[in-house]
Amino acid sequence: MVLGAIQSRVRSSRTYQQLSDRVRYARQDVSDLVPKIPGLPYAYISPFFILFGIFLLFPTVYTFYLSFFDYVGVSNDILLQIAAGPFELTIPQIANLEWVGLSHYERLIFRDSLFHTSLFNTSFIFFVQVPLMVILGLATALVLDSKFIRAKGLFRTLIALPVATGLVAYSTIFLLLFNDQVGLVNYVLTQVGFEPVSWLGSAWGARFTLVIAVTWRWLGYNMIILLAGLQTVPQQLYEAAEIDGATRWQQFRHVTLPQIRPVLLFVVVSSTIGTFQIFSEPYVITGGGPSNATITIVQYIYNQAFLQLNLGYASAVSVILVVIVSIMSIIQINIGGEE
Amino acid sequence: MRSEERNEALWKFGSYIFLLTIVVLVMIPLYWMIVAATIPQSEFFTWPPRLLPGFEWFSNFQALQENVDFVRSMGNSIIISVSYTALSLVLCSMAGFAFAKYEFRFKEPLFYFILATLVLPIQLLIIPLFLLITQLGWTNSYLAVILPWAANPLGIFLMRQNMKAIPDSLLESARMDGATEFQLYYKIALPTMLPSLAALSIILFLNQWQAFLYPLVVLQDPQMYTIPLALADLVGAQRVYFDQIMVATSLAVTPIFVVFLTMQQYFIKGILSGSVKQ
Amino acid sequence: MATIDITNLRKEFGDDGEQIVAVDDVNLEIEDGEFLVFVGPSGCGKTTTLRCVAGLEDVTDGSIEFDGNDVTDQRARDRDVAMVFQNYALYPHMTVRKNIGFPLRLSTKQSTEAINERVEEVAEMLGIEELLGDQPKELSGGQQQRVALGRAIIRDPEVFLMDEPLSNLDAKLRSTMRTELQELQSELGVTTCYVTHDQTEAMAMGDRIAVLNEGELQQVGTASDVYRSPTNEFVAGFIGSPSINTFTAEVEGATLHGPGGFEYTFDDPSVLEGHDRIRVGIRPEDMRLDADGGMPGLVTVVEEMGNENFLYATMGEIDLTARVESKMHPDEGMSVDFGFDEEDIYLFDIDTQQSVKTKTSETDVDYRQFVAND
Repeated sequence: MVLGAIQSRVRSSRTYQQLSDRVRYARQDVSDLVPKIPGLPYAYISPFFILFGIFLLFPTVYTFYLSFFDYVGVSNDILLQIAAGPFELTIPQIANLEWVGLSHYERLIFRDSLFHTSLFNTSFIFFVQVPLMVILGLATALVLDSKFIRAKGLFRTLIALPVATGLVAYSTIFLLLFNDQVGLVNYVLTQVGFEPVSWLGSAWGARFTLVIAVTWRWLGYNMIILLAGLQTVPQQLYEAAEIDGATRWQQFRHVTLPQIRPVLLFVVVSSTIGTFQIFSEPYVITGGGPSNATITIVQYIYNQAFLQLNLGYASAVSVILVVIVSIMSIIQINIGGEE
Repeated sequence: MRSEERNEALWKFGSYIFLLTIVVLVMIPLYWMIVAATIPQSEFFTWPPRLLPGFEWFSNFQALQENVDFVRSMGNSIIISVSYTALSLVLCSMAGFAFAKYEFRFKEPLFYFILATLVLPIQLLIIPLFLLITQLGWTNSYLAVILPWAANPLGIFLMRQNMKAIPDSLLESARMDGATEFQLYYKIALPTMLPSLAALSIILFLNQWQAFLYPLVVLQDPQMYTIPLALADLVGAQRVYFDQIMVATSLAVTPIFVVFLTMQQYFIKGILSGSVKQ
Repeated sequence: MATIDITNLRKEFGDDGEQIVAVDDVNLEIEDGEFLVFVGPSGCGKTTTLRCVAGLEDVTDGSIEFDGNDVTDQRARDRDVAMVFQNYALYPHMTVRKNIGFPLRLSTKQSTEAINERVEEVAEMLGIEELLGDQPKELSGGQQQRVALGRAIIRDPEVFLMDEPLSNLDAKLRSTMRTELQELQSELGVTTCYVTHDQTEAMAMGDRIAVLNEGELQQVGTASDVYRSPTNEFVAGFIGSPSINTFTAEVEGATLHGPGGFEYTFDDPSVLEGHDRIRVGIRPEDMRLDADGGMPGLVTVVEEMGNENFLYATMGEIDLTARVESKMHPDEGMSVDFGFDEEDIYLFDIDTQQSVKTKTSETDVDYRQFVAND
């Protein structure tokens, strides 16, 4: 009310009206709207923040908390009860917990060989798949960006098509494709003269199947991002380099790479994060096998938490996963962001 | 120079071959899906495998439907994905609008806080969420799958970015014309943002449509399965019935393909807007 | 150093059946060490021609030779050319030193020290040796321009190409750089092709000027040639600031009758033979206030510039511009008469726009009379 009164006083003054035209353009950059109804913005953001707080923030914190406990069972206890006249709020405890301190972490880091295996599997897939996909994606984007290529849109659409497939859906296709007995891949191999490979029946075969599947699924996606980055490189820089005598490769090294560095870094980091979290593909295609050859970290979390109900233990694994991914991202950003 | 010209031509030729190879490699699994979905079960285990599609899609579908109620899971997926997208759009656009266009205390810290949570992996959330959902009694309900993710940090980030582009003068002149505050959001901001809303809704819809890990945790009743859950169940229990599996897969991907092919630029906009330039 | 021979150059753009002819049958011979300026309005093909010489565009037809060697099919990097772009095109992530040294790093096997020495030489020549450690984004426009120049001259190329290099600079800097560029070119003696849309710049800088319009070469010649003896009405109108006044007149014997009461009788009417109607051109600087001039005008605007005045007038439906002494400042709204000398009048064929008569005033003066005796 007071605000409104002041506002109208100011607005009707001569000075304001004289100034307002000049200030108008400057103002656009400087200020946002002053809400007519105080507190209105909070009304706009509260639905979001309420859900955000309950379902995003709280679980995050709770996972960390949970990692120091053992899950014993469901709890019927009350955590907090607020009674104020007609208004009553009861917040129940959501679980029965037993303190174990750091023993989960200790066991995970030093004694849990299955966890170590899952770590190895996931890392292997990461080390092979991410460079493969980034290089392939960059090469494709570079070629597609060339001046002389026709039907760019068509190529881009077709290569990006996997983006529209769901993770489980495409996994089923690859399950069939790489089937040892009747899969298309083995068929083609034998036709060309090779021996059929035991894709899903052997440890390394299964791992490579996953690498190929994940690469197939995300190549188009990353290519689109890289292509967009390539298109921001000014054509004249290439021309200047060409005139200076640079070959195609030299132009790539001295003009393209430095210019797309941020985009490239983004692709590498996001692919890293994504690959470390894969779950659907190993679940559907290999089931984590054969003999735990392809069980991934998230699969391990799932098994521990929802098949064996070791919620505390699984939470500790989640925390370790997040730590690993964060460290990798920080390393990559530091290496990649340097001049 | 003859050899210069020849090198150029070779380069161009090689480039096209490369691109075509990539396209073929990308298309093969999809083509194969069509073949597998349209041939009868009996032709599956032949060697050499059949390479051309058949006409048995519908009979395979019937077998599928008799086996598991796949149509029901499709229905579940549709209801869940659509409701989720709608709800999240509303929440994110409202909040995004407030962050973009209003001044209020804690605006900056709150927003950066949300930004920080963009990097939160889903694995940090599912265990407590499971406990929460169980405690609330929402297991096996639509609510369990829709509500927790409606407050999407990426959504609010995109909405704010895009809404910042709306000129303040547009809103101010609407105010002077007598619009209520809510109308500013509803009648001015939203219509202007239609392309961004479209791009965001595609991201949201697709995320929900193919979500697997979390629904796997909270939906145990097969009646409530979404498509990915039903598919995974099929694979687990019925590994041999590839024809049914492929039919189910074809049903899972075709609607999204249609959306992709018709609304490509929004799809691509969505992909690109997710890549934040630091 | 090389001669450049452009023969029958033709460049078309567009592949969907919508062909745009950017350069149409341009023939030009550029001498070794010459500073040739391409000038013309936007879209006239001057930049395209330059880019064809550079090798950045494929030619549709015709040939380009450096010193007799056919380079038409060569890629830009195989031609010994250096180019300065309008936007400088400096490598943003490299220091000035690296930018300038880049061409040498690429092609020759020189050691880093040798390259650095050369870079420092060039930087000194251009006065930017203190900026060697800076990044392009830290530099002003003029400084960036010099770095671009440095990068071009370090290779000692056969041909220099410059695409409107001064257009992005402010006016004062532009004129300083103009003189510097000329000095530089003359010192280095490299054959230079220079593109600009500014005809003043062209006139000031070029040994010869090539005027283009709509892809066609209109005229090549010295500044004096194109000013005094333009081959057609376009060149006459393009060269000279303010632009030449032009209008159509009826020919009656030895007299011209033009719009707004224009009337002029020729002493030597032979030039009018064969024409019933003819296009007339008179430059503003050749006009003066003269009661018997035969060129009536209604003054609309008077601009007093201090050293001279610009008078804007209407003659019938024609707008006139005249450049007169500063003491001539009629009032706006006055009717005046302008006069000129017959040797300064231009005549153009009304159908072909070709020149029929150009300036015939004396230009040769014996300068010894102005040199003091020691």
